[in-house]
Amino acid sequence: MNASSLERDPYNIIITGVGGQGNVMASRILGSMLVGKGYYVTIGETFGPSQRGGSVMSHLRISRKSTWSPQIPAHRADLIASLEPAEAVRVMAQYGNPDVYILCNSRPIYPVTVTRGDEEYPSVADIKASLRSLASHTIFIDATEEAQKLGNTIFANIILLGAMYGTHLLPLEREDFVEAISQRFRKDQIEINLTAFDRGCELLHC
Amino acid sequence: MNTVYGSQELCTNVIGKQLCIGCGACIDLCPYFRSYKGKTSMLFPCTLQEGRCFSYCPKIEVDLDKLSQRLFGHLYDGNPLGHYISVSMSRAGESVGSGQFQAGGTVSAIMEYVLSRGYCDAVVVTDREKLLPIPRFVTQPEEIRTCSSSKYTAAPTLSAFHGAMKEGFKQIGIVGTPCQVLATAQIRSNPMDEKDFHDPTGLVVGLFCTWALDYRAFESYISTRIDKDGIEKIDIPPPPSEIMEIYMTGGDKVSIPLNEIRKLVPESCSYCIDMTSEFSDISVGVMEGRPEMNSLIVRTERGRRIIEEAQRDGYLIISDMPQENLEHLIWAAGNKKERALLKSTQENIVNTTQEDRLSYLRINRETLNQYSV
Amino acid sequence: MSYLNDKQEGSVHLLMGNEAIVRGALEAGMRVAAGYPGTPSSEIIEAFSKVARERNIYAEWSTNEKVAVEVSSAASFAGLRTMCVMKQNGVNVASDFLLHLASSGTRGGMVLVACDDPGALSSVNEGESRIFARLVEIPLLEPGDLQEAKDITKRAFELSEELRNLVMVRSVTRMSHASGNVTYGTLPDTTTQADFKCNGPMFDPDNGPVISMVVGAAELQHGPQQEKLRKAARLFEDCSFNTYTGPKSPELLIITSSACNLYSREAVKLLEAEDRVGILKLATTWPLPPNLIRNNLSRTDKILIVEEVLPVLEEQVKILAAEMTPEIGAKRFFGKNAGNIPSVGELNPDIVIDAISSILDIPYKTISKTFSDAVNALAQRAAPNRGLTFCPGCPHRASYWSIHNALELDGRKGFVCGDIGCYVFGTLPSGFSIVKTLHSMGSGTGIASGFAKLKQFGMDQPVISVCGDSTFFHAAMPALTNAVHHKSPLTMVILDNRGTAMTGFQPHPGSPNNVLGEEMPALDIEAICRAMGALVEVQDPFDTEATEKAFHRLIEHGEGAKVLILRQACALSPERRNKKNFEVKIDEEICLGESCGCNRLCTRIFGCPGIVWDKEKGISKIDELICVGCGFCADICPAGAIKKKEVA
Repeated sequence: MNASSLERDPYNIIITGVGGQGNVMASRILGSMLVGKGYYVTIGETFGPSQRGGSVMSHLRISRKSTWSPQIPAHRADLIASLEPAEAVRVMAQYGNPDVYILCNSRPIYPVTVTRGDEEYPSVADIKASLRSLASHTIFIDATEEAQKLGNTIFANIILLGAMYGTHLLPLEREDFVEAISQRFRKDQIEINLTAFDRGCELLHC
Repeated sequence: MNTVYGSQELCTNVIGKQLCIGCGACIDLCPYFRSYKGKTSMLFPCTLQEGRCFSYCPKIEVDLDKLSQRLFGHLYDGNPLGHYISVSMSRAGESVGSGQFQAGGTVSAIMEYVLSRGYCDAVVVTDREKLLPIPRFVTQPEEIRTCSSSKYTAAPTLSAFHGAMKEGFKQIGIVGTPCQVLATAQIRSNPMDEKDFHDPTGLVVGLFCTWALDYRAFESYISTRIDKDGIEKIDIPPPPSEIMEIYMTGGDKVSIPLNEIRKLVPESCSYCIDMTSEFSDISVGVMEGRPEMNSLIVRTERGRRIIEEAQRDGYLIISDMPQENLEHLIWAAGNKKERALLKSTQENIVNTTQEDRLSYLRINRETLNQYSV
Repeated sequence: MSYLNDKQEGSVHLLMGNEAIVRGALEAGMRVAAGYPGTPSSEIIEAFSKVARERNIYAEWSTNEKVAVEVSSAASFAGLRTMCVMKQNGVNVASDFLLHLASSGTRGGMVLVACDDPGALSSVNEGESRIFARLVEIPLLEPGDLQEAKDITKRAFELSEELRNLVMVRSVTRMSHASGNVTYGTLPDTTTQADFKCNGPMFDPDNGPVISMVVGAAELQHGPQQEKLRKAARLFEDCSFNTYTGPKSPELLIITSSACNLYSREAVKLLEAEDRVGILKLATTWPLPPNLIRNNLSRTDKILIVEEVLPVLEEQVKILAAEMTPEIGAKRFFGKNAGNIPSVGELNPDIVIDAISSILDIPYKTISKTFSDAVNALAQRAAPNRGLTFCPGCPHRASYWSIHNALELDGRKGFVCGDIGCYVFGTLPSGFSIVKTLHSMGSGTGIASGFAKLKQFGMDQPVISVCGDSTFFHAAMPALTNAVHHKSPLTMVILDNRGTAMTGFQPHPGSPNNVLGEEMPALDIEAICRAMGALVEVQDPFDTEATEKAFHRLIEHGEGAKVLILRQACALSPERRNKKNFEVKIDEEICLGESCGCNRLCTRIFGCPGIVWDKEKGISKIDELICVGCGFCADICPAGAIKKKEVA
């Protein structure tokens, strides 16, 4: 669906991860790409103490008709794009449904309670299998590993954007991304971000 | 058969029950127990079920038979002076350089001797900064002199012992009060059953002690009377004297009646059954009526050998203790033991059997009978 | 931020609510903006500073919100359009001046932007600023979506000039930090001259002196002030931002404002109740235009009021309804008082769905119970809590470590009165739980000043307060003055991390620069405290031994107020971020792990996110991606297993 139609109106996307992963930037870039194509976009975000290693969620609504609530109603997500496995689970519990599409980075970020030895991080295999059994489509990508190959783990968020594009669920073209980052980044940063975007798309075999 | 517990039990049963004397046995083994101005505090909870802190403490689960058997080869028998080979009078000899001594200077002489002859690779002593005792370990004989004045406040001397062990010293000498010496005996008994355990002590010298003073109470009391930063030396002359003498820089001397000072003795001292540091190699105290001499008790073979050689090499001058003094010493020590045993048994912290009640002391029935307890 | 400056009228941008407010101000030709950092408002002043040069604007982070409003009001008195910006708590701080300003009136359009935080997502209280509009008697506007955030802000300046009084524009987190499509208007030219005309007659609104009230002149001044409000109410009758959507005679009328408008709209859609429920979205929530209210109340008998946080709108509507009963009949009200809408916390579409579906008996289901049970069970086992803690390398963790230990060693049951900033975590285990009171900016030192005077009633413990460098200037200085003058023997610890860190590291009067990036004189906290007469010491909190010793010295000092300044830059500050002082590694051979002598102090107690516990190996490890190289852990490791090596 790179065409100009939406599966549903509003189409609800949640981009989630841990503070510092570039979650917010990814949702802004995606949002501005869609505004550029004439859609109404509403983004809701959680800031504040969540920056200090806490969970971060961006709710993104795409609509032909109007602005909507910056918070997606319970169990109404259409696409969950997560930079971290446990966060995908957290979002799934509140906003998921049997029709949801999950795109998730496989690399865990351990909460302080786990790194301190007070709690155990859940098994990623368990998370993968469980999400697969609950959602309509579940794809895990090694966005962090791919980002490290490009020289910095921060590129994982752009790789995720590329993968989101690669799902063909969004009414976007690659040119929209080029346009969006040329406005946002310095000239010398554009190349590497494009590479990251394309890599993300490749991971979805597109 | 006593069991080793952990920091929580130590806090509840010792610190929480006013039994802690601040000897330093639990201090600086880990980040959790530290001492500040004489008070022992647990900074954070430790979750270990068993720890050295508990096992080294001289105020909890002290098995006197076990310690006596290990050090002296027989069960604890309640002798007022403890197990000994000889009791004499002594003072520092001519081989010891001049300097500030307390009473006869016997302790300084012995420790200088063991360092210079290599019987000890380090010696744990209690230094002082103004009023505050500072535990240290020294490695040079001349350093002993700098720490030779008496301190009357309880000090965490054993923390320096742990420091010396961390630095790798293996024949550590120590000068301590009865509670500190008892803790040293606990350490030497390998209470945590460590494999390849070696006794880290080279010589344990104990001091006579009827009571010590709580540092904070003493500092607070003294500050209202004099400028505590001007204190040079403190002395409590032997009986029949009933005063504490404080020597100031500039030469002034302030005298304070002992019955004022006794109010500053911590509760913990009233539970202590040991006046002469019974678990040492050698014990040293004042001589009644003879302020320039020391009482000297030799308890073990290694203690005896060192005293003999020190005497031979002019570090000590030893003579017989008059019978009268000996009898009075025995009487005083017996009194302290009796008072403390009575109090401890009345408060049900001796030989307890209930599961939720730990004992301060485990002591055989025969000894208790001797003291009509 | 150049897109805020886009001159192309009609262009569409994805803007955050705060950015939309800024654009609205730019389109209104605002010249001066002042504020104090506070989530969710901080982006507004920052955005102004980025376009300040191009748009000929003066933007300032003032010492506190009261001063910010005063600075802003000066611009207004001089005929310039101006905005002051703060979070809800800031309105409280500014309230005394606001009360007087509303009485004296303003000249150039003046807008007070108050950003509330329903649900207290970034605050230590859940407050409500709209009541201040009623209290100080000024009009209140609430944007209901991102476009309105721009358009209403622009209109607010015009309204302020029409009424000659300041206007409050109230936003919430889900408006300020939400983003959406905003279509731009025109940008006016940037030349304006300031001119304070004050030599005319006493009550001349354009040329006379600007005075709150001449004593005893209530009718002369309070009367006209109230007349301004009545005029506002008349203007609001025709305000295009008040909209009604829905059938002419719905079964249920929702009256709502702000972000709740978006929740309500979504709820009605999801319940497929567009033909049964009408939504009156009010932008002008104080004073309420009575005719508009009457006309809408007449539509139906069931009224549901949806708002955050307190039932401000609900109560005002009910008052009008009571007065109008003879004309419109009795109404049945639903809302916070009746329990349909929760009285605490932020709202969302599901809460409104619940309310509507129970009032109109409309069933609503999203997922099956099987699915719900399955995802919840999964979340229980596979979504661990991400607890709040200090950042890796935060100097506060080190400060609290030393203070905690020193207080335990001191043994006299000393405690800490806390304040507002990242160091609020001192109330939690990540801050070793030493903070025992927590209220508003500067209150820690004021409370400590009180506690330390209770010795005559038998309370003789060391009393400590903590506050940050920004908080010191904002509010704590009067409290310290109080302690010094009244010989209250507290020890005030100023955690000086060189900026207003919690809200995004903004400058404050102790910083060498302002928000515009210009060099400014940095006030010297140490000198100020000494000048007040406190006993002052300064230490680096990363030197735990020196900090502990200094702390003991001060809390044992006895009489008089003491100040310990613990100075070390925030880990996220420009001078420290991305720059490691040390390479830190743990020697596996030396690490004692859980054994006696350590019992994993670094991970179990100290808790820096950069240290990770390897359960299998039973040792701690440094996570190089997270560790920022402050080196503090190396100093507290009991085994000496943590090694720090200076980075050139």
